[in-house]
This record gives sequence, C-alpha cells and structure tokens, in this order.
Amino acid sequence: MSAAAQRRAAPLSRARRTALGLVLPLAALIAWELSARIGEVPSYLVAPSVIFATTWEMLASGELWQHTRVSLLRALGGYAIGGACGIAMGLLAGIARPVERFYDPIVSLTYPVPKIVVLPILIAWLGAGDASKIAVVTAAVFYPTFINSLYGAKGVNRLYVWSARNMGAGPLRVFAKVILPAALPQVLAGLRIGLALAFIVMVACEMQNSRSGLGHLIITAEDSLRFDLMYAAIVAIAIIGFAGDRLLLWLRRRALAGQAIGKEGAHG
Amino acid sequence: MALLEVRELDKVFRRGARAVQAIDRFSLSVEEGEFVAIVGPSGCGKSTFLHMLGGFEPHDGGTMLLNGAPVRGPGPDRGMLFQEFALYPWRSVIGNVAWGLEVQGKPKAERIAAAERYLKLVGLSAFRDAYPAELSGGMKQRVALARVLAFEPRILLMDEPFGALDAQTRELMQEELNAIWQQTRNTVLFVTHDIDEAIYLADRVVVFTARPGRIKDEIRIGLERPRRADVRKSAEYMAYRNRVWDSLRDEVLKAREEFK
Repeated sequence: MSAAAQRRAAPLSRARRTALGLVLPLAALIAWELSARIGEVPSYLVAPSVIFATTWEMLASGELWQHTRVSLLRALGGYAIGGACGIAMGLLAGIARPVERFYDPIVSLTYPVPKIVVLPILIAWLGAGDASKIAVVTAAVFYPTFINSLYGAKGVNRLYVWSARNMGAGPLRVFAKVILPAALPQVLAGLRIGLALAFIVMVACEMQNSRSGLGHLIITAEDSLRFDLMYAAIVAIAIIGFAGDRLLLWLRRRALAGQAIGKEGAHG
Repeated sequence: MALLEVRELDKVFRRGARAVQAIDRFSLSVEEGEFVAIVGPSGCGKSTFLHMLGGFEPHDGGTMLLNGAPVRGPGPDRGMLFQEFALYPWRSVIGNVAWGLEVQGKPKAERIAAAERYLKLVGLSAFRDAYPAELSGGMKQRVALARVLAFEPRILLMDEPFGALDAQTRELMQEELNAIWQQTRNTVLFVTHDIDEAIYLADRVVVFTARPGRIKDEIRIGLERPRRADVRKSAEYMAYRNRVWDSLRDEVLKAREEFK
C-alpha cells in the first residue's frame, strides 16, 4: 500500500470524529442565529441565544425541572414496565413455538396502530393522572422490545444450545447462560428503540391531555405564542433523550465486551 | 463388550408424505482408546449418525450402547466437536474452556486449573483472556477441542472439525490432533469427507455408502504410531489411500447422480 493510501485508510481519531459530527449542527445553529438577528425569519423561529437564555432562566427558577421530573416519571415508568414485559414475553415466545403462535396474531395486528389512540380509553379507565400516560408508554415500549427479544432468542445458533446440552446443562441453565447472553445484542437493540418511543409517546400524551410535563409545556407555550418557552421544552426533551440513549450505548459496550470485538462503532 | 456398540441403527427423514431413509441398519463397534474415522460422500448420513449418537436427533430403530448403557439424549459422556466451533462469543477463552466444568458444578479453582491444563495442551495458554472473535479459525477449533477435553467425556464425537479451515491450517491441525491424541488416548469417532485426514488420524476407517447410509467397507490402518507428518509420503500410506478411494469412489459418483 502506498503512503497516501495508508493515510486515507487510517481511521479518524476520536477527537476528529466528534468534531466531524459537530460541523452540521453548529453550522445550522450559526445560520439560525444570524438570520434571526438580521430579522429575516418569522417570529416562531426564535434566535438560539434567546432560547438558551430562557432555558437557563427556567432552569434557575426550577420550573423546567418540575415539568421534566413528571415527564421522566411517566416515560421511564412506562419504559420499565413495557420493557420488562416485552423482554420476558419475547424471550419466552422465542424459545417456545406455541407461545409465539399464541401471541403472533394479536401482536402483528396491534403493532402498527399508534398507541396514542388508546389514551382516551385509558383515561376513562385509569383517570387523567399519570397512570393512563404510563400505560400508553408501556404499550408503545412493549412492541419493539417484544419483537427484538423474540427474534434474538429465536435466532440463537443451534450449536450454542447443543454444545451446552452436550455438557449436561439443563433447560434453565441453557436459558440463563446461553440463550440470554446470545440474544442480548438484539434485546438491547429493542430497548434502544423502545427508549426513543417512550419519549415520543410521553410527549404526545402530555400534549393531548395533561396539566404538567414537557409536552404540556410545549402546547401551552405554543398557544400563548411563547416560542422561546416551547423551544426550551424541546431542548430539555432532546437532552434527556440523548443522555438516555448514550447511557444505553455505554451499558451495551460493557455488557457485550466479547461480542462487540471487530464491530467497533456498530451500535444499533 | 466394546465401549460403543451400535446395532442395526435406522433413521428416516419425513417431510409430509415423503420419507427418505437416511441410515439403514448401520452397525459399528468402537473399542476403548480406538480412533475411528467415518468417510462417505456428502449427504450420506454420516453427520446425522453423529448427531444421533450425541443425543440431538432421535433414531427410528436399532440400539446405541455406550459403556453398556443406551444413549438417551445429550450428555457429557460424549464430547461433541462441531465444524463451526460453537464457542460462546461472550466468554473469554478460559471461560469457554471452563464452562463444561462449571455446568458439572466443579469448584472455581478446580475448573480454572483444569481449563489452564487443557489450554496448555492445545498450545493456547497465551490467549487465555482473549475473546473468540480475536482468534483465527484454527485457534478457535483448538479452544473448542480444549473445551470438550476438559469435561473428560468417554468418547469424542468430531463432526468434520477441520472442514471450515483452509488447507494449510487443516493439515497443521491434523498433526496437532495426532500429537494430542498420543498424549490423551481418547476414544474418538471422527466424521470427515477428507480421505487423507481419515487415514492419517485413524486406527480404522469406515466407509459409508451413498444414501441410505450403511457400512460399505472397513479398513484397518496399520501405520505405526506416533505418526509423523511425513508418513503421508510413504508407499504404505499411498496404498491405504488408494484402497479407501477405490471403495469411496463409486459412492461419491452415486451420490452425485442423485443430486442431478
């Protein structure tokens, strides 16, 4: 290989990769700020500096944190319940054909339905408080975790199971020590999709029916033309969503030490 | 009685109304400490036979006795080695080798010591903390061999263990297996389609017919042990090779006809 080709093939350093990823957001931010200052944009495109100031103000007053806290409770509450059910039932369906057959029609039928449509029904059952919103988030998170866990468990290399049984491992040990770790990459992929859905559905619920939370903040700010407030809430959602996703990726790297080798940067 | 006694074994594969006789009244006995190779054309049922012996596939007739007891389901008295290694990617090399002993409930110190002993036997002590993804194909199969040897089965069942390796690595692995066998003297049933591999390694070569699989021929390999690599150049070896190939040739042609 020539020296030039080698240079081209050399992987980017970590700092350079980060810098490369920041180019587009920073450029957009600068263009936005400049056009807002020149006054060439409509009023709902508030300048980033104003958004930043409002966010800061609301953080200092504790108002933003109050809304964030209720939203987090709803999103993470539903995430925990939906994720746990999805993984447990998905893995079970993945190793037991009859269980898969049992769930398949109902899951396939209801999967494409936007879960937000059941909010009014759930409000009738559970009241307009947190419970109905947590229930909708639970439903939304259940599907991707169920489906990914199902295919994760189903796709486990037959020889992994054979070789464990060859050594005398019983069904419980095969499940805990072979199926579970072998399916883990896909289970985690399901959890990652579920996390994004949890935040999306949480905001949708709060926009439709709520007196608190970031979704409620967005809708009331829009109604009163306080676009700076609206953006502050959006920024808060983006930040907690991003932080949650990074946390999951970090967990994934730790949990999949051996499986991730040679697949650096392949997170999904 | 021999360590392994297979009598009149039958296997039929059914798909809908179609039934295919995969193995037809197959009998074989293997003595303690004997290395038996099974060669046959592809699709002749030799791997199926090994899977039945491993307890992973049911059989439709006949008996299989290991040490006098009938084979029922998988168990650690038979150590399976697969072509695709089947190492656990989430476990380190030492974790993979020690796993069989973990299943058997051996205390940690004991299983680590045993795993290290077998890793040394296959020459991979330096890689004890590596993950399978960091190893080459030949190294992976050596780890898989150490893993099977570590739980000390009565018989090793090897299903084309070197079939996924490149030609040079395969030859080196054959030499290595020969050297290891010289030390451990395990009873081995070795399925392959490679005549050279079978003659070089085995005390006895069993030739399978094309489907339905049954014994066509049995050839005792009298090559002196320990066998060095250059035994493959001897006239005696070439005579065995011709003998096995003459027997196998018709079956390979028959198997090819069937696929046309």
